[in-house]
Amino acid sequence: MAPGQKLYPRATVRKIVKAHSKCNVSKNVDVMVFLDYVLFMQSLMKEAAIDSKQAGERGVSAKSIKKVTADTLAKFKG
Amino acid sequence: MASNADRAPPSTPGAAAAKTPNRRARSADPNSARQSASARRGGATPHGRAAFAALQKRRTALFTPGKERRRSIRDQRETPRDPLRALSRLLAPSSQAIHSSSSPSDSGANNSSLPVVAEEDESHNFDDDSDDFMIERPRLSLNLREDDDDEYSELKPPRLSGLEDYTAQSIELPRRAISELPPGRPSLGSVGRESDYHGPDIQSDDIGIDSGFFPPPVMEDPTVGGDSLFPPIEFPDPPDESTFAMPAVESSPAREPMFLEDSEPRVGVEDEMEMEDEDENENEPFGLMDSDNDSPGPADHQPEDTMLSLVTDQRAQSPQNARRKKPGKKISKHGIEYKSLPQGVVKRLATTFAKTAGMGKAKISPDTLDAIMQATDWFMEQLGDDLQAYAKHAGRKTIDESDMITLMRRQRQTNPSTTPFALAQRHLPRELLQELRMPVPAPIKGPRKKAQNDAREDGEDDVT
Repeated sequence: MAPGQKLYPRATVRKIVKAHSKCNVSKNVDVMVFLDYVLFMQSLMKEAAIDSKQAGERGVSAKSIKKVTADTLAKFKG
Repeated sequence: MASNADRAPPSTPGAAAAKTPNRRARSADPNSARQSASARRGGATPHGRAAFAALQKRRTALFTPGKERRRSIRDQRETPRDPLRALSRLLAPSSQAIHSSSSPSDSGANNSSLPVVAEEDESHNFDDDSDDFMIERPRLSLNLREDDDDEYSELKPPRLSGLEDYTAQSIELPRRAISELPPGRPSLGSVGRESDYHGPDIQSDDIGIDSGFFPPPVMEDPTVGGDSLFPPIEFPDPPDESTFAMPAVESSPAREPMFLEDSEPRVGVEDEMEMEDEDENENEPFGLMDSDNDSPGPADHQPEDTMLSLVTDQRAQSPQNARRKKPGKKISKHGIEYKSLPQGVVKRLATTFAKTAGMGKAKISPDTLDAIMQATDWFMEQLGDDLQAYAKHAGRKTIDESDMITLMRRQRQTNPSTTPFALAQRHLPRELLQELRMPVPAPIKGPRKKAQNDAREDGEDDVT
């Protein structure tokens, strides 16, 4: 990653959360949201990697991602 | 009692020591006589003593427990065997007369050399089955193993079943309320549902986009059936298709009323979306997929169901935007526009975590990235719903950090030993974390901990 690159668009995350919740978003919530998203992605990719390994695929395929998405989302249900 | 038995017969106390060998010599029990002789022989060295002890043990095991086992008093034999054996050793001389009187005819002729106890064994054999004599005799030396066999045959089944019951009842599987199950998710916002529809509608050879989000029987049928199984049932008419997608929506009881409330304004929203599509032609997150599906979708479609028809019409009207991959604006269920996360960010994260998950330098293909983006959108929607619920419960109109911390604790991402900040330090790459801290240096660390304390208090309040 280029050093000057932004980690993530804070405003976008903010807008996403705001749009979905119809609530105002206080300061620094987006940091936590992004952290949570990172954890989610980690879990998702881990599960997908396991799944695609079991299926004998070389890389992570879209199929395995779709397969594990539901479970991972359920895991991250608050 | 044993000492009494020894001392009682000799009437003159002085000759007790001399009389005991005499009584042994007089008694016809060869067991005790052999025992004393071999004791004299083997007692010289400790090895000899040990060998003799082993021999003696085997001999007693050969004779005494076999007798009791034949009588099938297995339960009683277990505990009193050792005292009984000691007692029999001591009482052997005096009990000899009783044995000879109890077994009168059979054993007397056969077993002149065998000890008395063995005589009774043989008499039992004869009582059981006289034909088995030639087979029974070798079994005499294997008494212990027979005992084991008996124990196994009697004890095995109840133990096994008990264990199975125990394990089956002791495992507690994770449970969720029915309303929280993944199949209930299709109450997502319009974008989620739009792409939900894209998934089943893909009638190409691979599984649809969101195969995990519908209950498997509902979802598998169209996709598999497109190839082999149920082509005439599922696919000829799109109304069926719409009806099979809608039960998944209605299958979540908790969110149904909300969905029904929103359905009217959302139709308007869809209309807006359609308008925007015609204007911008970039509202298709899965544009690649759409190009494949233009032919089956709108050809024989009846515009009954509003949303589905809108989606298909959308595709019919704008086939030229099929190749666009730029994520356009989406509308949440509250009617607010938003953009999804940039694909670059998502792809970077996905690549990093695929590497750490052990997939090596595997490249993230566009299809995979699309799936991940879909998962991202759903995740964000779910997160927004949850945060809104927490904020509303706290009587706020603003999503606070405490809500986020509560959410992460509910997700089991944080616990008393893992603070959110430690998670941030661990999971965000270091340079990213530094960049993250740089724009807002102070507030991240300070308020976060404070908010965490607040959240703890909140959590305690919730618990109590």
